[in-house]
Parts: sequence; structure tokens; C-alpha cells
Amino acid sequence: MDYIVKRTAFAIVTVFVAITLNFVLFRLLPGNAVSGLRCQHCTKQFRESIVKQYGLDKPKLQQYVIYVERLAHGDLGTSIADNRPVWDDIRTPLVNTLPMIVVGTVISIIIGIISGVVAAWRRGTAADSANLWTALAFYAMPTQWIALLVIFYIAIPLGLPASGIESNTLGILSTPSTWAVFSDRVSHLFLPALTLGVGLYGEYSLVVRSSMLETLGEDYVLTARAKGMRNWTIVWKHALRNAMLPLVTLIALSLGSIVAGAIVVEDVFSYPGIGLATIDAISKRDYPVLQGIFLILTMSVIVANYIADLVYFKLDPRVTE
Amino acid sequence: MRARMLIATTMLAAVVALAAGCGGGGTSGGGGGGGGGVVKGGILRVGTTNYIDALNPFVAIESQSYNAFVMEYPQLVQYGPGPKLEGDWATSWSHSSDGLTWTFHVKPGKWSDGKPLTAADAAWTGNTIVKYGAGPAAYLAAALTHVTKMDAPNASTLVIHYDKPIANVLPQLEQFWVLPEHVWGPLVGSDGKGLKSYRPEQHLPTVSGGAYEITKYQEKGTTVFKPNPNFYGPKSNADAVALTYYTNSTSMIADLQNGNIDFADQVPYNAISSLKSSGQFKIDSVASSEVTNITINSNPLKTKNRELLDPNVREALEYATDRNQIVNVIYAGYAQPWANMLSVQSGKFWLNPAIKPLPYDTDKANQILDSLGYKKGPGGIRVVPATTGKYAQPAHKMEYNVIVPDSLDFNGDRQFQIIADTWAKVGIKLHEVAGGDSGQAYGLETAGKYTKFDFATWDWAEYIDPDAQLSYMTRGQWYSWNDTGYNNPVFDKQYLQQATLTDPKQRQALVWKMEAEIAHDRPYIQLVDEGLVTANDKSWTGFYPDLGAYCKCYYTSPHKTG
Repeated sequence: MDYIVKRTAFAIVTVFVAITLNFVLFRLLPGNAVSGLRCQHCTKQFRESIVKQYGLDKPKLQQYVIYVERLAHGDLGTSIADNRPVWDDIRTPLVNTLPMIVVGTVISIIIGIISGVVAAWRRGTAADSANLWTALAFYAMPTQWIALLVIFYIAIPLGLPASGIESNTLGILSTPSTWAVFSDRVSHLFLPALTLGVGLYGEYSLVVRSSMLETLGEDYVLTARAKGMRNWTIVWKHALRNAMLPLVTLIALSLGSIVAGAIVVEDVFSYPGIGLATIDAISKRDYPVLQGIFLILTMSVIVANYIADLVYFKLDPRVTE
Repeated sequence: MRARMLIATTMLAAVVALAAGCGGGGTSGGGGGGGGGVVKGGILRVGTTNYIDALNPFVAIESQSYNAFVMEYPQLVQYGPGPKLEGDWATSWSHSSDGLTWTFHVKPGKWSDGKPLTAADAAWTGNTIVKYGAGPAAYLAAALTHVTKMDAPNASTLVIHYDKPIANVLPQLEQFWVLPEHVWGPLVGSDGKGLKSYRPEQHLPTVSGGAYEITKYQEKGTTVFKPNPNFYGPKSNADAVALTYYTNSTSMIADLQNGNIDFADQVPYNAISSLKSSGQFKIDSVASSEVTNITINSNPLKTKNRELLDPNVREALEYATDRNQIVNVIYAGYAQPWANMLSVQSGKFWLNPAIKPLPYDTDKANQILDSLGYKKGPGGIRVVPATTGKYAQPAHKMEYNVIVPDSLDFNGDRQFQIIADTWAKVGIKLHEVAGGDSGQAYGLETAGKYTKFDFATWDWAEYIDPDAQLSYMTRGQWYSWNDTGYNNPVFDKQYLQQATLTDPKQRQALVWKMEAEIAHDRPYIQLVDEGLVTANDKSWTGFYPDLGAYCKCYYTSPHKTG
């Protein structure tokens, strides 16, 4: 119980640190609400009214208190670029990105586990070497490079869409059926998710291989072999389950890099998710939107780590010792 | 890409239209390489790497936005089809003998929301731009230089009053979009604030008087243009136009090859040969309006690295720039070395033949820099000696930052490497600074009243008539279109004067002189005049690839081949 309380307290403190950093960092950046408006010709009164509108004329401490109070009410602020609530601007991109990240992560986990287990089981063979080098290569490759390879060698030969989240003609002349929308979305989601998955799998594969090698050397695996169990049963029912612990931690910890990967993947595929929204907000110096995106992403990582801590505790109670 | 794209034309055409004093009766569909009968219907899917940054003409910068304005809003005149100015909304026009009053007769029409489209809308738009031309309406003010007032004596007559006779009334008015007063009027406010803050994209479909209304807008996705049923001119052959933005040309070309788009408005230079060899597409290559440059901070009040204000240093830098390598590496040969501030499409009449690119000659560049006393120091980087006086500088290395925007339609990073490599041979070290999109890069240039930056690499997409491009060099365009901080009172006076010279020969002589002044002062080292390469699936025809942002026919004309 102490362990859970400690982890919860740690997560709450981390959230507050993240909120504070999020506030401070964006006020250290050059430019403000006026410079984002492309309005160098506007009058001084007009500029002052804009600054006042965003509360930037108040002392920093007061701005911070207002910021935290608004956050407590679920208010992320107002976009400078389009004057809409930040949440309205980032909700759709978040919804677009989530399935892509989930599918990409699932792809990476599946490929990572299968290749890692095969490599460990066939340790020292050509299959092991091939997997090792392939995993290392994909792990080292920049995600945007993988994305371009996917376009050249998969999108073009197979005729799959290489851009966007939906067909450019969908719904223009008639209302599409739900199935048409769904299948269209899936076809547009596939390549970005595959790119993300391929970019991530190498790390997972290496960790699973290493963990499996350790587990396969345990006494209980030797006992299982001595009892005449089938290899399949030994690997999947005994060794892999115990080898999964490091993978759970890695997946939680790598959420940040998954999101970072999503940013470049979305940029290459013009996929209108949170990554493209981030790049767009940077280009427009739309600091409230950036602040909102960073806060949500930071919170996601903190929450994922918190959940991982709890799952780890469930899987291996020894962590409290 | 800043400003608008342009069309292939000659000044002769503009002069002919001006001298004729009366307009054509409107445009006709087809043409542009089309053949056979016109098959109506279908959705024309256009791919681009240039996005619509805003649907508000008082805010937008990107050329694709201006293309959208041409499609949405009535213009008195427009270019094309063909390289000449024709009537768009105007059916005819005339001017007083002193050239101070121009009268336009316009077609009866309706806005897409059913409200009447009358000359009063044009008068309101023009008077609003004039009133706020030094403020929120500055982006559109250049088109109405010297306009004092617009009147609408009746629904079909617009009278424009000038304070001086103007040489280029029609080319200027081609950039004047008529906005619906019943939409924009209530938004203006007391200081014009509403002109900047209104977002038409949040109120779709847009209220349009032109060929299309915009029914869907995604800045970094697909924007849908649907034909305006109340349009006064030739109707769209396609049922709709879907303009899709791509963050990179690789995915755009992949979608073109997969049949997901019908027309790519700018094919990347390294993809041309593969598209040609496939035989599936029609490739058009035309001279473009786009001139690329190295932008040099020319604000005489800049406090750091003031040696860069010296025309001799700039001359040395031009000698150290290998344009041919840029043409071959960046453009695969689809560009030509260039030195004039105007593009090749301004035509011989406007291009001063004496202005030619300097040859790539690092020996000559080294010789000039040596003669100026900038000796090479550690690491082969030249050192500028300390100076005294009002703008005293300590001794410092010739080491500078170069802003490279990410909204370029060519490989800006690679071009930077080429320039950095060749300039290093003359003892100058460069560092690349990511410039972000057009707005952000412009913000970096104008920061600190044009005192913070040294170099940028960018381009201009230019008009045929030289007026707009000349205006960008004036003090009056600081913080609007002037991106160099160039401030030359003599040039400013010449700019105002050229616009009033109604004798084409006299105006030509002054424009040539101004071009020569800019070539000498080098606020830019012009690099190349780009070629524009487009590709379309052969199931469509009727394209005018060079008329983007100049003619409604750019979208209305294409049709299926059947």
C-alpha cells in the first residue's frame, strides 16, 4: 500500500512540476500574442488590447495563478491563430492520432515479441544474427526516413494512399456510408501506423531477446524441458510470461518517443494528428495551443508511467522491497 | 513562396488592353492544351505543396491563398485565358481624358448566399482598403495606390477616382478582390481590427461572388471548392475542385502515381524524369514567375555586421555564389541563373538587358575582400577590423546566420549547403537557422525593426507588371512586404513617379533605372528564375498551368477527356 501511495504522490508532484515548467518555458520564448498576428502595422492601442485580451499585461505570478485556476476548470486557454478554445483546436488532432499510435504500437509489439522470441530461441543461428542486425538497423533509422521508404516501396506499388486521413473526394458530392468512412480511414491510417510500428519494433525486439535469453536459462525452464514439455509450451507459457516484465516498463517509458515518432510520421504523411498540429502551432507561434499540446502529452506520459508502476507492482510484488 | 504566382505574358498585352480602353466580354472555357469535346462533371483533385494559410485576404501570405481569392471573389479584370487582361466582372471600362477617373460597368449578379452583388460592394471594398491602407489593410493597399475614392452611382457602375493619372490601372486592379459588404461591413469596427481578426474559414461555406464557394477548409489538408450557382461568368466544368495540401512532394507524387490526385501544381524537379517515363501523365514546363534569392539585411541602421551593407562586399558575395551548381543540383536544370529583381515572365519590355548574373569566380571574390582589408584569420575565416564612430563595431569574424524558411518549394537546406560551401572558399562561414513558415520567417527578418538578421534565402513569386515588386523595396512596405529593410528615399520617389508615367517608353526607362539601382545595391543576390513544372493525369485536360492565382479558368477550364 505504501508503494502505491508513494507512486501516486510522486505522480502528483510531477504533474505540478510539468504544469509549472509548461507555464515558464512558453513565457521565455520570443514573441507573444501580437507577434503571432502578422500585424506590425497595427496601432499601439490595438496591440495593447490584444495583449490585454490574453492577460499578458498582468504580473507573471498572477498569470501563473490564473493559468492553474483555469486548468483546474479544464480551460486550456484560447488560440492566438484562430481565437478558438485550445481544446477545440487539439481535440480532433488527438482523436486522429490515438488510433494511429495504438495500431502502430500494437504492430511494433507483435513484431518485436515474435522476432525477439525467435532470435532468443535460435540463439547464435543465422536467424538470430539477421534479426539482431535488422532490429538494430530499424532502431537506428530516423522515423522520417522509414516513412519515405514506406512511400516508395509500399504505397506506390500497392496503390495505398500516402497522405492525409481521408480521401480528398470523400463526402463532397454525396454523404458516404459509415462503412465507407471507416474503411477509408483505415486505409489512410495503415501506412503511418506501419511506419511507427517498424520504427519502434527494433527496440522491443532487442529487449525481448535479451530478457528471453535470461529466462530461458532459469532452472524452471530446464525443469520443464526435463519433464518433456513441448518447446512451444515452454516458450509461450513459461519463459515469455516472465520475460514480459521489462517490455511493459519499456512500452510505458517509450510513450514519449512514440509521440515524438508520431510527429515526424504525421509530417511526412500529412496526417492531421497532434504531431502536425504541433508543427503548425510552432510555425504560427501559437503558444497557447503549443502549451496545451505539451501539457496533454506530458500528462499522458506521467499517467502511462504511473499505470506501468502499478502494473509492475501487480506483476512483480518484489518491486516494493 | 511569398506573394502571388503569375502568368506567362508580355507587357505588350497589358499595354494593348490599357490602350484599348475597353474590356472583353468574359472568358470562355477550354483551351490550355485541351483537345476534343468538353466532358463536364467529376471532381478535379489538385495536389499542392503550398497551403492556404488563411481565407482572410487581409491576413494571408501564401500564394495558394491568393489563388483561392481569385476563385472566390469578383475581380474587375483578370488575366487569361491567354496572356492578356480581360474583363472578369467588368464588361467594359473607360477613363476621363486626364486619366483621373475610371468608370467600370459590371455584370449583374448575386453572391452565393443570394444577396445582390453590385458595384456598391466594390466601392465599399475599395474605400475600406484606402481608409485602412496604412494599417490592417496594408496587404491589399498596393493595388489601389493613388486611388482616393470609389463611387457606385448605380448597381452596375463603379467609378474610381485617382489623385494622379496612373500608368498601370488595369494590372493593379487585377489584384483587387471585391468582398461582400454585407459580410465584412459589420466587422470592421472603429480601427479596422475586424479586418484582421475575422476568420471566413470558421463560417463555411464562404460567401462568394466568384466561380466557387469554399465548402470545406483544412489548412494542412483538403479544401473543397464548389461551383457558385450564382456566378456571373463561365461555369466550372468540374463538379468540384478538391485542393489537397502535402507536407512534402514525395507523398504528393506517390498519390499522383496512384491516381489519388489528377493534377500536381508543382512537380519536384527530381521526379520529372520518372513521371515522364511512365507515359501516364502530361507534363507541362513553363517559365515561372518565381525568382529565388539570398536576402541581405539592408537596413542602414543595423548595428551588427555592418560590413554587409557595403555594396563591394555584396559584389564579392555574388562572385562567390555558384548559380550553375544550384541550377543543376536543386532544379535538375529546370531553372536559369538570374540577377534581375523581376522575373523572366515580366517580358523583354520590362527587363533591363544590362543586368546579368556575375560569373562564379572565387578568385575575384577573394581579391575584393582582401582589398577591403578583411584578412583571413584562424580557420580560414576572415576578420573584420574594429571600427569607430556612431556604429562602432569590435573586430569580429565574418560568420553569419542564414534564415531558411521551411515553406520553400525547393530544397532550401541543400541550397544553403551549396552556398555555405562556396562562401567558405572566400573565408565566410555560414550557419543555417530554421525559419519556420512564411509568417515566422518574416517575423525573424523584421525583428528589432530589421536589425536582428543578416541573411535569408527565399523567393518571390511576382506579377507581370513591375509595380508590386518595385513597391516591396520601398520604406512604405516595411513590415508588410519589404523583407530586406532596404530604405532608399530616392528609390521611393522613383517608385511613386513610375506609376504615374502613362507613356510606356518613359515608364520603361525609369523602371530599368530602378532595376539597375537594386542590382547595384544588392538587397538581394538573385539566384535563379525557376521553371514551373506541372503534371496531370491524361484523363483530364484543359489546364492553364501558368494561370494559377491569375484566372478563374485555372479551375473552371479543366475537364475530363471522356
